[in-house]
Amino acid sequence: MALQTDKILCLKMYEQMLTIRRFEEKAIELFEHNLIRGNIHPCIGQEAVSVGACSPLRREDFMVNTHRGHGNCIAKGADLKLMMAELLGKSTGYCKGKGGSMHIADFEGGNLGANGIVGGGLPIAVGAGVSIQNRGTDQVVACFFGDGATNQGTFHESLNLAALWKLPVIFLCENNLYALSTPVREAISVSKISDRAMAYGIPGMSLDGNDVLEVYAKMREAVERARAGEGPALLDCVTYRFFGHFTGDPGKGITYRSKEEMDQWLDRCPIKRLRERLIKEKGLTGEMEKTMEAKVKATIEEAVQFANESPFPPPEEATQDVFCP
Amino acid sequence: MIQGMVQGNREKGNRLPEITFVESLRMTLKEEMERDPSLMLIGEDIGRYGGIFGVTRGLLEEFGFHRVRSTPISESAIIGSALGAAMTGVRTVAEIMYVDFTTCAMDQIVNQVAKMSYMSGGKAKVPLVIRTQEGGGRGNAAQHSQSLEALFLHIPGLKIVMPSTPYDARGLLKTAIRDDNPVMFIEHKLLYATKGLIPDGEYLIPLGQADLKRKGKDATIVTISYMVTKALKAAARLAEEGIEAEVIDLRTLVPLDMDTLLQSVHKTNRVVIVHEGCRRGGIGAEITSRIQEEAFDYLDAPIERVGALDVPIPYSEPLENAVIPDEEDIVRAVKKVLYMA
Amino acid sequence: MATTVIMPKLGLTMTEGTIERWLKEEGDRVEKGEPLLEIITEKINFQYESPASGILRKILYHEGEAVAVATPIAIIAEEGEALPEFAAMKPEVPLEAPGPAAVEREIKEPSKRIFVSPIAKKIAQEKGIDLASLKGSGPGGRIIKIDVLKAGEKVLAEEVRPPIPAREPHGKLIPLKGIRKIIARRMTESFQNIPHFYLSLEVDMSAVQDLRERLKDEVEKRAKVRLTLTDILVKVAASGLKDHPIINSRIDGDQIHLLDEINIGVAIALEDGLIVPVVHHADQKSLAEIASTLRDLTQRAREGKLSLEDVGGGTFTLSNMGMLGIDKFSAIINPPECSILGVGRTIEKPVVQGGEIRIKPMAWFSLSSDHRIVDGATAALFLNHIRKIIENPALLLI
Repeated sequence: MALQTDKILCLKMYEQMLTIRRFEEKAIELFEHNLIRGNIHPCIGQEAVSVGACSPLRREDFMVNTHRGHGNCIAKGADLKLMMAELLGKSTGYCKGKGGSMHIADFEGGNLGANGIVGGGLPIAVGAGVSIQNRGTDQVVACFFGDGATNQGTFHESLNLAALWKLPVIFLCENNLYALSTPVREAISVSKISDRAMAYGIPGMSLDGNDVLEVYAKMREAVERARAGEGPALLDCVTYRFFGHFTGDPGKGITYRSKEEMDQWLDRCPIKRLRERLIKEKGLTGEMEKTMEAKVKATIEEAVQFANESPFPPPEEATQDVFCP
Repeated sequence: MIQGMVQGNREKGNRLPEITFVESLRMTLKEEMERDPSLMLIGEDIGRYGGIFGVTRGLLEEFGFHRVRSTPISESAIIGSALGAAMTGVRTVAEIMYVDFTTCAMDQIVNQVAKMSYMSGGKAKVPLVIRTQEGGGRGNAAQHSQSLEALFLHIPGLKIVMPSTPYDARGLLKTAIRDDNPVMFIEHKLLYATKGLIPDGEYLIPLGQADLKRKGKDATIVTISYMVTKALKAAARLAEEGIEAEVIDLRTLVPLDMDTLLQSVHKTNRVVIVHEGCRRGGIGAEITSRIQEEAFDYLDAPIERVGALDVPIPYSEPLENAVIPDEEDIVRAVKKVLYMA
Repeated sequence: MATTVIMPKLGLTMTEGTIERWLKEEGDRVEKGEPLLEIITEKINFQYESPASGILRKILYHEGEAVAVATPIAIIAEEGEALPEFAAMKPEVPLEAPGPAAVEREIKEPSKRIFVSPIAKKIAQEKGIDLASLKGSGPGGRIIKIDVLKAGEKVLAEEVRPPIPAREPHGKLIPLKGIRKIIARRMTESFQNIPHFYLSLEVDMSAVQDLRERLKDEVEKRAKVRLTLTDILVKVAASGLKDHPIINSRIDGDQIHLLDEINIGVAIALEDGLIVPVVHHADQKSLAEIASTLRDLTQRAREGKLSLEDVGGGTFTLSNMGMLGIDKFSAIINPPECSILGVGRTIEKPVVQGGEIRIKPMAWFSLSSDHRIVDGATAALFLNHIRKIIENPALLLI
């Protein structure tokens, strides 16, 4: 597919993917330095799905996210400083340090929050769709989930209801072919996740999740349909994660994935691919690249510094926010 | 000569003098699967991956796919199919990765597993163990750090076992597997790497038998699971001040060993109940009630409950520490019932 | 501008003081410098002067109450002046927890309800103890197990009669306050924490009696006071301590601190208790100076005019109970000192000396010492040295 999208947008998407990649690398580094607790689930390798899917969205459109959601947060316009502060458990983080990596929410930016329960966010996305319908606005909901979630009861209940009520929810499967150690062929009863759309009478398609422009194009179509009141769709974006399931996965998930497979996918890295096309078709120069890298680096460093300098929340805050005033 | 002996020990099932909690569970599952050729394991990532804590490592290779079934992420389906298999002759141990996820299968656990025998007038037998793990302290945040045993305590038809040592884990798991009733076998994520001694050979620990982990005379600390560790540390600190606390590890919640508790209360007249679940409606509430009903005349002070604050578990370290009970809370509670605080 | 009167810090180690007596009432006019109230601390009764002039608008703590240093105890202001916020609160109302405590107080006054823990009630029933006669040490006056057990011991000890209901014998209640309370605390502390051991020997007092006879006139001329046996004993003790510095010490954590000064405290019995004023640098004072100092301290003690310096810094204590008719006694060490010397009555007795029976004035000297600092042998050497000097006072010249 030729680069029909305009140069500015392409460069913006490239920069965003780069930002996500560098952010995740920095997060892994901080985790290894014991500054981030629990676990993080890096989305390295899946940047095109995040950026391609979020680019057609407006700020007021909703998004429901997964435990592997740093990329989606950034693509939806999150402030890196507040994200980093949340990862470090500081009171200046998006959730005042109470949520951590898996629960980052940015309501002003339409981000209804990440979820630590696989498939936990789908019914919430449906609820947002109902609210849009009742309020009569033309917002849409981008509902992210992984291949693993498509077997969870909530997936089926949610698609059914969204289809039934023609809700403006775009179900985006970030299909990285593995649910922790379980490959899709040992978990999913159909050959393509997009086939499941048929069970609920909604359009579904499988696409190359590592081609940011394809994801962008298909997402734009689905968003326009949804805004026009024509109901939900299922986009199965096939991609791959270059890191393990989480930071505790030995050998970056090498115990259940082969090196050949990993190498094949590394070759199809979304950032690498867009870069090549930008150089070839949109005049991306080495100079521009260097500037961009430096800018991304500076933004991330600023975020880390902000997070480091921010205070931890005082223990008294532990009992607050159970209910709103 | 010694080389050969060590080798022989390994072949017998790794019966080294001190083993980890994980290894204790693993070897027990293996032995029980050898003993009962129908016994099946079902859960997420339990096959090749060996379970996220390594409890089922090597079992798929040894017993094959039909008996070690790795599933999609479908908690309802996991519990539901475990129930069906157990009812029709296949004794099952199902694994739910985090106790927080049992909520995804609550209908199956509460309405199906717990009630099947009762509703059928005793005709259905449900030889099912649901293994899971709970607890916080590692920054796993609100949806991966809970202690939910109080929910299951409230549902008639479920036995609840929560071992605190490799020794207890082994003896209790054997009993749980051989029991023809549904058992919630709740482990703790911070106990998996702990080590302990186990004797050679087989032993079973009956359900409903508490264990006196520390003898004392000044106050009784009633506790279970990982909090046993903290209670023993608190008792050591109190001993430095001349206060001898008795620590009772309940080991099972259903059935509950009231006899051991009452004997202790008669002796010390003072009770502190420590659990990691939220204080409100936690297991401490039930135990407090039972003690005051059955040993009212022996109490010198109101029973103290030490539990987590009634909030979701926060992510940030100082917040998490403020929420989950620690040694200091236990020491303070003991002093309170001694009118020393 | 209202002036807040606070519990003053009257000594380096003072943490709280007890209000003995208000010398002014609420509403009285006071002048700056006028005595306002009497405060009892660790060792002395202190008259505190008003820090400002004005009307004593509010007294926040009353007689008998123990108050931490720096706590506001009264407000002085002019008529109509605004008082600081806390003055508006009545001291009776607990400042932190509302509700239960206040409610309990309300309940306690009018009704006669007894709060008692179940096990305490059970034990009381079994032992025939009347709960109405007990004062509970639990929250809100709750009677708890330990209260009943203690009462049970008392009942046994007093061999009281039939089981139900056994009552406490009637009598007068003297609250432990002021000096008595302080002595109770310090002596308990000493007795519980210091491993005491006791050495005694009989001393031939004839030489020292003779000395007194010969010196008394001269001393009277110089110091205007009569020379007593105690004065001589102070000098003897100071000399002995010079040669046995280990006795002139105190324990400090896990170190023994050998002290440079020799300050000898002399126990004086007052009407309301024991007080120990100190003769500082006793080794450097002459007998006349010691007599003069001691007489002055005694006088001021009787008048309640001792300062903290007068009772502080002691390194050794002397207690002469001879004039109270006591032959021999084992004193309790005055913490943080190492030893205390108790001297009994001098009596004429037959003793065997040089194979013959003689009548001699003998007195028992008993040394109580801290076994952490000294052993029997060391203490014995010291005590023997004391005897040697007393039986041959000329040794004081060396």
